[in-house]
Amino acid sequence: MFVSCCRSLLLLLALSWTAKESTLSNPTTPRLNAVLAVGFNRRNGKSTFLFSSPLLFKTRRKHNPKEMENDKQMPLSKREKVIIDTDPGIDDSMAILMAFQTPYLEVLGLTTIFGNVSTEDATRNALLLCEIAGRSDVSVVEGSDEPLKGGKPRLAEFIHGSDGMGNIFLSPPKGKKIDKSASEFLVDKVSESPGDISILALGPLTNLALAIKRDASFASKVKRIVVLGGAFFVSGNVTPAAEANIYGDPEAADVVFTSGANIDVIGINITTQVRLTDEDLSALRNSRGRHAKLLSDMCQFYRDWHVKSDGVYGIFLHDPVSFAALIKPEFFAFKKGVVRVETQGICVGHTLMDQGLKSWNTSNPWTGYSPISVAWTVDVQGILTFVNELLMKP
Amino acid sequence: MAIFLALQSPEVEVIGITTIFGNVYTTLATKNALHLLEIAGRTDIPVAEGSHVTITKGAKVRIADFVHGTDGLGNQNFPPPKGKQIEQSAADFLVQQANLFPGQVTVVALGPLTNIALAIQLDPGFSGKIGQIVILGGAFSVNGNVNPAAEANIFGDPDAADIVFTSGADILAMGLNVTHQVVLSAADRDKMAQSPGKFAQYLCKILDVYFDYHRDAYSTQGVYLHDPAVLLAAVNPSLVTCTEGVVRVQTNGITRGITIFDHTRKRFPGTNEWSNKPTVKVAVTVDAATIVKLVMERLMSS
Repeated sequence: MFVSCCRSLLLLLALSWTAKESTLSNPTTPRLNAVLAVGFNRRNGKSTFLFSSPLLFKTRRKHNPKEMENDKQMPLSKREKVIIDTDPGIDDSMAILMAFQTPYLEVLGLTTIFGNVSTEDATRNALLLCEIAGRSDVSVVEGSDEPLKGGKPRLAEFIHGSDGMGNIFLSPPKGKKIDKSASEFLVDKVSESPGDISILALGPLTNLALAIKRDASFASKVKRIVVLGGAFFVSGNVTPAAEANIYGDPEAADVVFTSGANIDVIGINITTQVRLTDEDLSALRNSRGRHAKLLSDMCQFYRDWHVKSDGVYGIFLHDPVSFAALIKPEFFAFKKGVVRVETQGICVGHTLMDQGLKSWNTSNPWTGYSPISVAWTVDVQGILTFVNELLMKP
Repeated sequence: MAIFLALQSPEVEVIGITTIFGNVYTTLATKNALHLLEIAGRTDIPVAEGSHVTITKGAKVRIADFVHGTDGLGNQNFPPPKGKQIEQSAADFLVQQANLFPGQVTVVALGPLTNIALAIQLDPGFSGKIGQIVILGGAFSVNGNVNPAAEANIFGDPDAADIVFTSGADILAMGLNVTHQVVLSAADRDKMAQSPGKFAQYLCKILDVYFDYHRDAYSTQGVYLHDPAVLLAAVNPSLVTCTEGVVRVQTNGITRGITIFDHTRKRFPGTNEWSNKPTVKVAVTVDAATIVKLVMERLMSS
């Protein structure tokens, strides 16, 4: 949708904001182009206001459908280096297998976290996924087994099965996790090549917060963090106020969101728009996709939960959508604003973004923090085509 | 503006004004209510003074004099009123009226909800006996106006608001998501200033401070008609559409005062703080054009 709008948009003004002020005054400020776009969508005849000061939309290259065919030639040096922090998890597993299938990415490692399952089980599943993908060379690093403030983490085994993979109970992996903590691994990798490594964070943000606490310059050295988390101006999925990943460790999420790192956050206001229907799932099962059977088997349990919980005959693609944001940002429009997370009371885990529509006459808990990019719209059809192509890729 | 509108609305009979802190301190709110009734020649209407503190006895209340002027009436420094408030407290008066006219009294709540929460605590049957409570408050799925999380009236007494929203009373809440759509432009104000209407003349004098505030805070040339919109929606419910669900108010933390509305058909795992609580109505659309038209017509024909 956004992409099609973009093509018919009249770009009135493009301000280049990349050069001096932003980088000199604050080295952690993400590089952005601000685009003022007031447009008219020819298809439905509606005018579309995409920007109003002081909100910024990221500019992005146009999506080229032909690109997919040229992917095979992408040299390793041009691939985006990424560490996936994950709690697999059915939709995590989809995203991880997709990451191994795409030529856009070089996966440097999987760091694990509790959420869909315990951290220990997440590590086992991460090792399994690497083996299934024939990528036992990829480091699997175990992360924290509890949230920042301590205590037993909340697990969602009723959604992902007791094995976290839809109760398909695979044999244990042969490989071993490496002997480091996730936060140590994150800091080491990012410090080795500052500005070069992105993180795809698919679970609670404990490991990332620990990395930020371990190394004060981590936030400025990481290239980009794509977070699956939060519910922006919509209901949550754990409580009416909170989304599961943020609810899993609200303190950590608040540390990460206010760290000054270059962050794109994809909330369930976006991810619940992108679904595989029962028809899509059976098309996947019948496809020649490399992992089609495994994924179809895993998705059965997940799909049944969606029927019970949301009346949806299919599945939400939370993690695959966030994965798509990592390499196909052109499918999204983002809005910039400071995001804070509530850590107390009945709304614990609530993500609240200051949209910047009002100048506050006094300071408040949002004042003084660096804004992050919050996914605002998504090209649902574009993502579905992209996801289906990767899932069905032999 | 909403008080004058109520007096100019033939559909309703105003049976009393109860006062609360918020835009000004409660004592000044009482003086201003008496003053407005004297301007309108309606000193027959009783004014009952409400709580000076929040329901948790928090004496340090937030006052928005930078929005409404230090006197709450656009810094006009009108002479003090001649009349006096009645002896009864606002909460006592609310309980008494609900008992006198069960199911017939609509409360239009335009400030923090302390008095209404006190009435509920005073008389457990209050929420069943009162008619509808139409509340100006909350920011449903939008940013607040005190800070990014909270709207001013709810922020003024979040504990009271949570008591009222979960009391089981017939409640219609109108938040910033709808009231921000109802804008009186500078041109509308000029048109009112040209009219001989008594109330229009009076209001145009006191509106300057409010226009200045909106220009500085929102970069707009108009003002939001929060209270008039709620008053008119109470008079004519067809001016809004609503959805029904449970509203809870956060009473601590950085999002203190945020209103979270559970209205989805999703089944949450287990129970949560919204489970098994009475539902309320929350306005989701508003006929802004008709409201502005009605506001101007009624104030200019005074």
